[in-house]
Amino acid sequence: MQPGEANKFSMLSKPAAAWKRFRRIFPRRGESAQKDRAGYLMTFPYVLHVIVFLGYPLAFAFVLIFHRWNVYTPMKWVGLGNVKLLAGDPLVWRALANTLYFLLIHIPLQLALALGLAELLNRKLRGRNFFRASYFLPFVISGVVVTILWQQLYATETGLINVLLQRLGLPKVGWLTDPRVAMPAIAIMATWKNVGLYVVLFLVGLQAIPARLYEAAELDGASEWQKFRRITVPLLNPTIMLVLVLSTIGGFSLFIEPYVMTGGGPAGSTLSGILYLYKQAFTFSKMGYASTIGFFWALIIFTVVLLQRRFVEKEAVE
Amino acid sequence: MKRLLLYLMLTAGALLFLYPFVWMLAATFKPETEIAGFNLIPQQPTLESYRFVFQKIPITRGLVNSLFVSIIVTASVVLFGSMTGYALSRLRFRGRELIFNLTLATMMIPAQLTLIPLYTMMVKFGWVNSYLSLIVPAMMSSYAALLFRQFFRSIPQSLIEAARLDGCSDWRILFTIIYPLSKPAITTVAILTFMGVWNDVLWPLMVIRDQELMTMPQMVTLFAVGGQAEARLGVQLAAATLLAVPIILVYFFIQRYMIESIASSGMKG
Amino acid sequence: MKRSWLILIPLSLLIGCAPSRTAREDEAGGRVSLTYWSATNAQELEFANEVAAEWNRLHPEVQVRVEPVPAGQSSEEVILASIASGTTPDIYSNVFPGALADLQDAESVVQLDAFPDFLEVMRERMPPEVLEQYRSSDQHYYQVAWKSNPVMVLYNTRMLREAGVESLPATYSEFLDAAARVTRDRDGDGQVDQWMATIDYYPIWYKRLFDYYPLYLAAGGTALFQGRRVVFGNEQSLAAFRFLRECFARGYVPVQTFQGDVFLDGRVAAKFTGPYSISHLERYRAADFEYGYGPIPRPDGAAGRPASYADPKSIVIFKTCRHPREAWEFVKFVISKQNDLRLLELTSQLPIRKGLLEDEAYAAYFERNPRMVQFAEQLMTARSIDSIAELKEVFDIIAQEVEESAVFGFKPPEQAVHDAAGRSQQILDVE
Repeated sequence: MQPGEANKFSMLSKPAAAWKRFRRIFPRRGESAQKDRAGYLMTFPYVLHVIVFLGYPLAFAFVLIFHRWNVYTPMKWVGLGNVKLLAGDPLVWRALANTLYFLLIHIPLQLALALGLAELLNRKLRGRNFFRASYFLPFVISGVVVTILWQQLYATETGLINVLLQRLGLPKVGWLTDPRVAMPAIAIMATWKNVGLYVVLFLVGLQAIPARLYEAAELDGASEWQKFRRITVPLLNPTIMLVLVLSTIGGFSLFIEPYVMTGGGPAGSTLSGILYLYKQAFTFSKMGYASTIGFFWALIIFTVVLLQRRFVEKEAVE
Repeated sequence: MKRLLLYLMLTAGALLFLYPFVWMLAATFKPETEIAGFNLIPQQPTLESYRFVFQKIPITRGLVNSLFVSIIVTASVVLFGSMTGYALSRLRFRGRELIFNLTLATMMIPAQLTLIPLYTMMVKFGWVNSYLSLIVPAMMSSYAALLFRQFFRSIPQSLIEAARLDGCSDWRILFTIIYPLSKPAITTVAILTFMGVWNDVLWPLMVIRDQELMTMPQMVTLFAVGGQAEARLGVQLAAATLLAVPIILVYFFIQRYMIESIASSGMKG
Repeated sequence: MKRSWLILIPLSLLIGCAPSRTAREDEAGGRVSLTYWSATNAQELEFANEVAAEWNRLHPEVQVRVEPVPAGQSSEEVILASIASGTTPDIYSNVFPGALADLQDAESVVQLDAFPDFLEVMRERMPPEVLEQYRSSDQHYYQVAWKSNPVMVLYNTRMLREAGVESLPATYSEFLDAAARVTRDRDGDGQVDQWMATIDYYPIWYKRLFDYYPLYLAAGGTALFQGRRVVFGNEQSLAAFRFLRECFARGYVPVQTFQGDVFLDGRVAAKFTGPYSISHLERYRAADFEYGYGPIPRPDGAAGRPASYADPKSIVIFKTCRHPREAWEFVKFVISKQNDLRLLELTSQLPIRKGLLEDEAYAAYFERNPRMVQFAEQLMTARSIDSIAELKEVFDIIAQEVEESAVFGFKPPEQAVHDAAGRSQQILDVE
């Protein structure tokens, strides 16, 4: 408001109030209009970006489901052909089974290890930062580096892990060549890579738990395990939820690991949804079918996360 | 005693996460025959693996490409994210809540859905094999917008009102007042974005074919997967090490900020 | 005002007069410039450069520039990408006939039988039943069948001899018999360290072109598809799958992978390969290493000449070429008799031409390279492959079934063949 107008208003209060009301609904150009404009201008690039690079592709992805297209020739309508193909595609269901197998191993391992390490770190320690930083390191390193490194560690003949096993008198394991072991091997590697992040998250969560709760429980004669079960776990529920959701989405987004290490083998045991999508799109140029797989996969992720929230998430406990 | 056990376990943990990297580094200096060994000091040190890598692929070019793309995208995401976050948190205008809901909704869309159409759009725009395809689709982030909005809400409105009375435009307010107060948020968004862009391999694999434009992780991936490394372990590890070195160096200096900002963003997420 | 015009005029002239290189050269003196993409291996590049240089010498008004195919994940992908971006060459000589359907769908290749002398040149070059294999489904020709690397079985003859196998196997029983003798534990450590053959069973689609498909053809198989119908779910596929299963189940072919060349190391006695192996072997083998080539194993009691896979490559002319006639003249030059001889000499790959062993022109070559004689003999019964858009996917499915059934034994061969054919038909039916 300009200084001059302020004088005008202060002289006549009732009509002034009415006038203010009027002005809020129909702002004069130059005042809140300027406020509005800044708002529109500031969000315009973002909204435009979302429409062009998210909204349109989403709509197009849906359209693609009903077509056959290799990008270079005109699109061809196939109706529900791709959907039928997907329903009967053993590889899609195999990829789903593989992913669930992966999560079955990865998530408990992740939770246990991350929580365990966080508990250990959750006290006055010398070199706490050092430990925290070293657990966190694999998380920031590119997945490609980790994959190449572990491909070496897992090598059947020359890999460090098998050499170690042999020295201990144990038999060698075909980590990446045995169809039963390949996915667990990737799950272990994925845990190693990501656990640092969750250690940090759990640490934050643990530090937020007031010490008096533990003190009160001790007075009641609770054991370590009871304290853990009754206090720590429920209060960490939001963090556990976060770990669960992030790990699940990560598991469903598995790509670079099978792509570099196993190519989806052996015998399709490490085929992941995204790897299969990539193959359909770029080896066979089947954009329509690839998009169908993409939609199906997104649907699955959505459902799984929904189920997790339903059954695992609890309201915040005071 | 309990203390000792504790430190033992923690150290074992640290070893578990650090030893493979140290081993990898050592292996890159070993001749092929020695690689399967545990020894961290090569008996016959050699630079052959690295020489091979530099000979076969323009890896420094990959580093430059990655830096270029990551920096530009990070700057853009911070800029547009903060703008959007500010507008959503502090400005009043029709459609504000609509846009906020839109932002929330976009977070629910998995990337897998839009990969293929985005790729075909790149082909149609003629952006395949160009930096544009790496930069433009990644220029803005809903996550950044939400993070900034969240953070800006904690900035006292009185500061902003005072600036307005002084005749500052909202743009001025954002850049001269809000930014200096938002170092944690900016750092968080910058680190997360930079890491995300740097490590992304799937998208570059789809849209970049020309070796001159490949990002570093992409180049190393193709090097390892394609036959160029000629199945030589030391060479593959050397390429991987070269890829890891920049991040490790940066990590060494800013690991505290990295960890803390990711932790704080995790709590809000 | 005046000053800005001073800048604008020369600027617009410059912009307006920056023509493409080809156009400029055309105007420069009526010269035609053609780009020719050749495969990237050293020998073929050498061949391409030599042929182009000779042509350029003879035809100063039509100059050919050789470029290697740009790098990428596969040459097919690179070509499709170049079609999309409009950067195709004029002539390309590394076309896999199975991928021709992709190029045709994109309407990117010139119909060659529109040239008046095309059929005449082709008929002079090869017998009708071979030429027929390179005809497209619309009854026209879009490719020139250029060179072939027939797949045969390479044997370490000394290993066979030492195991008591006197002659190179030709049938399944002979092969399995020899395998039983050769596969053993040499150094007595309780683990087998010598096997009959090595097969790279990694389920990449084109790998099956070198084991499953030749076995299928040798067993009497011909077309894989009839129109849009899958016909390879037949006895011949079953024979091939069963044979492969036997090899893996009995341990004649190792499942684990090794570093280095297991054949040269003397760890396996056989492998499926083509004539390009000759130069590799000659370069790297030990002095006392003996080797020979035999036909693809086939069911006992089969008659006639054994068939195999030709692993052919064709030449195409892209529609973006502004001078197709001149391009065709160049292609004729590439496949001429004297250049076919150079192809043999420089790359050890066979031109798809009848009568190689009878023709005087090549006699000296075969005298110097007696091992190539067997491949030349195999040439005329080596078959190309169906060209269908979904070929890669079908072979990907076959590769998965081979891995599951033959290598790991997770399902019986009958089931595998049935699943492969069924699944492939489903994919073709999406149309």
